[in-house]
Amino acid sequence: MSQPNSDPTIYDGLMFVSLAAVITGIIFLVLALNGYGWSSGG
Amino acid sequence: MNNVVAKIVIVAQLVFSLCFMCFAGAVYSFQAGWKGKAVVAQQKLTDLETSFTTLKDEKLNVEESLKADIANAKTRADGAEAKVTQLDADLKQAVLSLANAEQQRDKHLADLAVAQQEAQARIDETTDSRSEIKRLRDQGSEAIAIRRQLEDLNLDLNGKLAVADERAQLALERVGQLRGICRANNIDPDAVIAGPIPPAVDKVDGVVKDARKNASRSAELVEVSVGGDDGIAEHMRLIVFRGADYICEIEVTDVYPDTAVGRVLEETRNGTIERGDNVTTKL
Repeated sequence: MSQPNSDPTIYDGLMFVSLAAVITGIIFLVLALNGYGWSSGG
Repeated sequence: MNNVVAKIVIVAQLVFSLCFMCFAGAVYSFQAGWKGKAVVAQQKLTDLETSFTTLKDEKLNVEESLKADIANAKTRADGAEAKVTQLDADLKQAVLSLANAEQQRDKHLADLAVAQQEAQARIDETTDSRSEIKRLRDQGSEAIAIRRQLEDLNLDLNGKLAVADERAQLALERVGQLRGICRANNIDPDAVIAGPIPPAVDKVDGVVKDARKNASRSAELVEVSVGGDDGIAEHMRLIVFRGADYICEIEVTDVYPDTAVGRVLEETRNGTIERGDNVTTKL
């Protein structure tokens, strides 16, 4: 059973934008943790 | 219905993803400043701990030193208090001694005033005594001079007395001879014989021929140009003068026909006799 190819909607774009934001936030946090040497400070 | 829920979830996921990204970016942006501040704060904390430790040690040292000083000061204070007590007692004793000393001083001052008055009186007496001694010394000197003059006069008189004794002896022998002659010629030697009275001597003038001291230098002898031929006799007084100045009187001791020798009467002397001065029996 084949499904008809639907065109990407605006919500698909929003999904990619949110993925990009998450990745960017993760990069920022990694860079911050590198500044402290990945230590918890305890 | 599913499409509506999915759309809402997607939009919510987008919103939360953007918020996560913003917070992560903010953390990354400000964490460097936080880290530097944390390092500085840690360094300050370490320094403060070090300083605190040092200050604590110093505090202990200072406390020990202060304790020692306090003990020393307490000892000194005890000693000083004892000294103060002793000094207080000494002060009271000194005050008493001062009062006694002042009383003695007043007494001594009174004695001193009396002694000064007495000393002044003694000084006055001494001054008077010195004046009296000086006067007595002067009188003694004058008496010595007079005594020397009298001794000289005594020697002179003794000499004259010896000469007079010899003359008297000769005269007595002569009188004896004359009495013998008178008896041999039946003449009473004790009968009164009236004879010529020597004429009164008028004014006789002459000059001094020479003047010199005698052998003992106790008297001055003067030779004048008038003698027995002019009526001059022994023991006659002659006046020596120069012009209008009276010089002295002389007493004739030896008489010769044209000259005579006389002794200066020192009590009448008013000057020095020189050769050529005038001599007279009356002024």
